[in-house]
Amino acid sequence: MTDQKNREANRDSNREAGGDARPAGERAAPLAIEVEGLCKRYGDHEAVRNLSFSVRAGEVVGFLGPNGAGKTTVMRILTGFLPATDGTARIAGHDVFSDPIAARRAIGYLPETPPLYPEMTPASYVDFVARLKDVPRAKRRAAVDRALERCGLASVRGREIRQLSKGYRQRVGLAQAIVHDPQVLVLDEPTVGLDPIQIREIRALIADLSRSGHQTVILSTHILPEVEAICQRVILIGRGQKVLDQPLAELTKGGVALEEVFTRVMTRDAADAVEKGAA
Amino acid sequence: MRHTLTIASRELRSLFLSPVAYVVLTLWSVIAGTFFLVSLLTFHERQLQLQQFQMLEQIETMNLNDNLIEPFIGSMWVIVLFLLPAVTMGLVASEKANGTDELLLTSPITIWDIVLGKFLAGVEFVTILTAIAGFFPALLFHYGEPELGKTLAGMLCLWLVSVTYVAVGVFASSVTRNQLVAFIFTFVLLLILGMMLPFIVDISMSGSGVAADSKVAEVVRWMATGSHVDRMLQGLIDTGDLAYYAVASAIFLVLSKTVIESARWR
Repeated sequence: MTDQKNREANRDSNREAGGDARPAGERAAPLAIEVEGLCKRYGDHEAVRNLSFSVRAGEVVGFLGPNGAGKTTVMRILTGFLPATDGTARIAGHDVFSDPIAARRAIGYLPETPPLYPEMTPASYVDFVARLKDVPRAKRRAAVDRALERCGLASVRGREIRQLSKGYRQRVGLAQAIVHDPQVLVLDEPTVGLDPIQIREIRALIADLSRSGHQTVILSTHILPEVEAICQRVILIGRGQKVLDQPLAELTKGGVALEEVFTRVMTRDAADAVEKGAA
Repeated sequence: MRHTLTIASRELRSLFLSPVAYVVLTLWSVIAGTFFLVSLLTFHERQLQLQQFQMLEQIETMNLNDNLIEPFIGSMWVIVLFLLPAVTMGLVASEKANGTDELLLTSPITIWDIVLGKFLAGVEFVTILTAIAGFFPALLFHYGEPELGKTLAGMLCLWLVSVTYVAVGVFASSVTRNQLVAFIFTFVLLLILGMMLPFIVDISMSGSGVAADSKVAEVVRWMATGSHVDRMLQGLIDTGDLAYYAVASAIFLVLSKTVIESARWR
């Protein structure tokens, strides 16, 4: 009960934040992420097909799709880990292919499996990442402390990462992503494999990040309540293509559950594919 | 440059948080101590022998550098070949196994920062190894009068061979995510580079009827580490030998960079 209330409160505050940003934002807020005609082929397999979308600064976007839809691939291209076969992607105005260093500096990235060194402590690990991400020396200590604090890691900052529970490791991954206060936060399935309490904590943290900061967040998931809890907009992809791109408020207008929308769209998409295949 | 140092210092710290570094350091110390002792006893025995047979002329020519330090370092660089793969195997391979390559490759750093950072960490480690080995010849300065220059040239030689082999290790570690594969690959490469090349020349020459002094044979011999060790151990620092270490290191570092870069396109 309280959980639901919390969620509703979160959603409301997000809507408000979105509402604040939008009227002025349509023109004023710069584009934080611009993707145009993105394609990625692995051999014969087309993981991403002609994908285009954009995200305004300060938006929290849910990147939704069934497993294997190409979410991770898109995120890896955005962060510069994988090169695209075709198309362009810009982060805070920097092309990820031609100006990778500037683009990466603007990004905080939590991959599907948090990239941790098990023998390090959260404090030394986050400090290492802060150095990699060019946090100025004078601000580094404070930045590291703040990231650990926000992710609730202050009590385990000196423990070895290998001894930490999965939930804590996920938080270390998140702390690593936010330490340099990036303009764009890319989170790949940030709550997968966590227990319900940890999931709620991580969600609260993400909601807190988007509310307090100027941060743009794009997070991938296939858990629908997650999107309802923290996102303002939904981009749905299936088999590497964009299927839907709408504000959450419009989608669930009239009390329609997101799950219904999702199932409807995905089955329609699958039917289209079968038709195309038959023709 | 700053990022190179960041990566190197993290790597070195992690190396010392794992047991591998301590196992290698212990083995190295024990082996160095044993070899030194053997060299010392051999030296002493030979001296007694010569005295017994009144071969004064030969006693005159015996000295600590040529008859003790040189054979000692001459065997230590071969030990590097056996121990170093254990240290370098994880340099890049463990990043891939941990998934931390995704962090490094999405950070605002270049691939050269990664390669040189790993190389530098390895270089720092072999500097410690060289210092440990150097402790034993240094003892001799307390009891006798070896030539300082010649001794230092020998230590430099040991260090340069180790540094070159670190570059080989970085390369072998970057082609795989499996540390065991990296270990074996490094070991095989070092074995070829360090020991087998001259034999390969001899064997293939005797079969194909190509003269042993042909250009090909010359180049292959040049590639062998062994042919750049002897002169330096005798105290002769030759630019050609220095160039060998520099070129070999550079080649393997460029290869590492290429491998890491091309892995993303697959």
